[in-house]
Amino acid sequence: MSSRTCRTCGGTDIDVDASRGNAVCMGCGAVLEDNIIVSEVEFVESGGGGSHAVGQFVSGDASGTNPNFGEGYYTGVGKESRAQTLANAKRNISTMGHQLQMNQHCLDTAFNFYKMALNKHMTRGRRSSHVIAACLYLVCRTEGTPHMLLDLSDILQVNVYILGRTFLVLSRELCINAPALDPCLYIPRFAQLLEFGEKNHDVSMTALRLVQRMKRDWMHTGRRPSGLCGAALLVSARMHDFRRTIKEIVAVVKVCESTLRKRLTEFEDTPTSQLTIEQFMRVDLTGECDPPSFTAGLQKKKLHQLELELQKKMDDVEDEIQCYQDEIDTELENCRPKLKGVYAAYAREDGVDNSTSSSEAEVAGDEEEDEELQAVAKHFGKELSELTVEALRELDDRRPAGAAKGGPGEGREEEEDEEEQERGGGGGGGGGRKGPSLESILGPMPTAASLGLPETISRCIGDEKENDGAADSGELDLNGIDDGEIEWYLLNESEVKVKTALWMAENSDYLKEQKEKEAKIAKEKELGIYKEKKRKTPGRRRDPIRASTADEAIEKMLEQKRISSKINYDVLKDLNIRPGASPAHQAPSPAGTPTKKLPSRTRRPTHTPLSLGTPLSTLGKRLQPFITGLPAKKPALDQPPPAAPAVVADPVPSSVVVESGPVVYDDAAGDEDDEEEEEPYVSAMQLMGGGEYGCDGEYDD
Amino acid sequence: MDSSNDEALDIIITNVVATFRTRCHLNLRTIALEGTNVIYKPEVGKVLMKLRKPKVTASIWSSGKIICSGATSEDEAKLGARRLARSLQKLGFKVRFSDFKVVNVLAVCSMPFAIHLIDFTKKNRPIASYEPELHPAATYRIKHLKATVQVFSTGSITVTGPNVQSVATAVEQIYPLLFECQKPRYN
Repeated sequence: MSSRTCRTCGGTDIDVDASRGNAVCMGCGAVLEDNIIVSEVEFVESGGGGSHAVGQFVSGDASGTNPNFGEGYYTGVGKESRAQTLANAKRNISTMGHQLQMNQHCLDTAFNFYKMALNKHMTRGRRSSHVIAACLYLVCRTEGTPHMLLDLSDILQVNVYILGRTFLVLSRELCINAPALDPCLYIPRFAQLLEFGEKNHDVSMTALRLVQRMKRDWMHTGRRPSGLCGAALLVSARMHDFRRTIKEIVAVVKVCESTLRKRLTEFEDTPTSQLTIEQFMRVDLTGECDPPSFTAGLQKKKLHQLELELQKKMDDVEDEIQCYQDEIDTELENCRPKLKGVYAAYAREDGVDNSTSSSEAEVAGDEEEDEELQAVAKHFGKELSELTVEALRELDDRRPAGAAKGGPGEGREEEEDEEEQERGGGGGGGGGRKGPSLESILGPMPTAASLGLPETISRCIGDEKENDGAADSGELDLNGIDDGEIEWYLLNESEVKVKTALWMAENSDYLKEQKEKEAKIAKEKELGIYKEKKRKTPGRRRDPIRASTADEAIEKMLEQKRISSKINYDVLKDLNIRPGASPAHQAPSPAGTPTKKLPSRTRRPTHTPLSLGTPLSTLGKRLQPFITGLPAKKPALDQPPPAAPAVVADPVPSSVVVESGPVVYDDAAGDEDDEEEEEPYVSAMQLMGGGEYGCDGEYDD
Repeated sequence: MDSSNDEALDIIITNVVATFRTRCHLNLRTIALEGTNVIYKPEVGKVLMKLRKPKVTASIWSSGKIICSGATSEDEAKLGARRLARSLQKLGFKVRFSDFKVVNVLAVCSMPFAIHLIDFTKKNRPIASYEPELHPAATYRIKHLKATVQVFSTGSITVTGPNVQSVATAVEQIYPLLFECQKPRYN
């Protein structure tokens, strides 16, 4: 308080009394100031006995503009919302931060991250709790605090991978590259939880060294840092004679037991594990190891190679055997008498069936083809189950390929080879690989083979084009699709019945539910209250009303909102446009209106249904000029009523005020017409504030 | 071309996912009851149908949209899709085969060296991301190819992309980056 001098006596001793709000000179007693403005917090008592501070909280970073009612209404709302969002976020961040024991600096940084995210519209479509958790975790990573994503997900009870996803998106959008996680950060935290007492520091240091050793041995890439820490802590605890079981460590570190064991075994494999405790503390081995998964991979590779070699050897041996077998067989065939006629017919059947099954053992269900296939299989010295197209292909290759492209060979192999080729990505030279493997051995199969060769070649070449064409036209290209095989995928009649029975039994609950649902819908339909689908219609957005006077605004609002169902608004509109002209046209409609208006005007029993049918002369002189004036304005009035009621509205307010009480009985004619037009205004007022009369009517809506 | 390496890298395509439309409404119950190898999921509203020959699994919706996955090459995917359409045709639906499109291709590839993921992530900062708490691999997204490469510390990588060509290009692009960050071998 700047000490002032008293005006009367010039003294400087001035007493300021805050409670009275006075500044008084102590020398002469002159009151220098009265009603001093104080800036103290005042409290008011609220209902229920509680007391609240008077005033509003204004957020520190809000722009501080007051929302203006009227014109700037919507902009005001927008800013408020942003401020609210930020305030909410700040609150949530503080809550979560305190649960994690983060300091204020981190929380502020997290809030900044949140603001950035908000500006980039990243909060849309995501749970706000997720976004906040991601911001917090980002801070943890940049600051290097020992908080795991798992902790955050514990607090929120959310899947850690979902949080992780949000976090990754956030870090990408904000272009913040969080440094990679160092398992060393977690050691002190876990050590704390494991309660090592005084030796906490020693155990931590040992564990740290272990982790660093693990890092150099490439055990930490691609692994959860907590797992490594767990293993390190376990070992170091044992080293310092603490009996910490695996279970305890698992509870603290939150990894699985088997993971811990795995890490321990991996560590065992490193040369460091061979050192004694003292040696480890003193010496650091210079050599480094390959990562354990890499060594595992190498082992697998070696095994695989061994297998391949064995396989090759086996194949070589088999080849030799086959050569001998083939020679023997050819000899036999030459000796065997060739049956024509019946056998040929039989053979042809077999051929068709075989092509159906396409030489894969799984489909071997038919007896006829069994024989054929088995013969083939025996010929090649293998089991039926091993007979694959690949094997055949291999064997084909070994035979003198291209020799004797005799027609008979084609037809049988056509289908198979087509499939082979299609699978192999469309080979060129359709006829190239027609080794006469099967037919030449087992006798000529006079199938429709001579056609095969050119067809296959053209198909192979035209394969791609055909496929594209088929796709566009929508027709199903049956190229290479084996109808017979497809048949296998469909059940026949009896099977369908069995399956239907089984399925019904299996899904009886679901079917019951469906039936109940349908029954409910049917019932509701009958009752007529069936709602198709409860869609949340986002409330119809109405354009802001622009009006120059309050009455205009009210009138417009009424038009839009249609508050009362008793009032025929269309007639009201007509009223304003052309009250005098065409009374006949308007006669029927107003006939309806008075009755509708009746309940609202219960206190005015003497209401003659004049409104528009009455000639103007009966109306009071007061209104005549206004009403006759209106038709002249009609052409200009393309916009609805506003102009007209505006004219009428001006003198009306005065009369409205006058008639606000139930005093109107005497002024029958003129005032009632007045009231007709005023009716909307009056009822609007009632609805908005008054409610003195007409309560029964309006509130039904 | 597998540039700048002596041995050729084997890119093995393990999965091709394709979609197509049958342009007609399908009654899932009929399919479920009359087909072999089908699983009906009424809660979701689809039928899973598994073919043996090209080993593919198809999800069939009643709108006629079908997703076919499990094939090992684009042609195989197409063949499987056509087979599927054919079997649906046999069931009595007026099926037309249209809008066949390969949507996703997954391939694996193995580098002959191990990779230091943290270095790799540091060098390729915004494009690569590595979160050991979440996933053991570093993810590298190639935007213009729309392909994603997941790099494991053992040197194996998996590549997913919209078609086989993009997958091959992605491998070629990423090879030099991985080569820089390889772990020195000790044995």
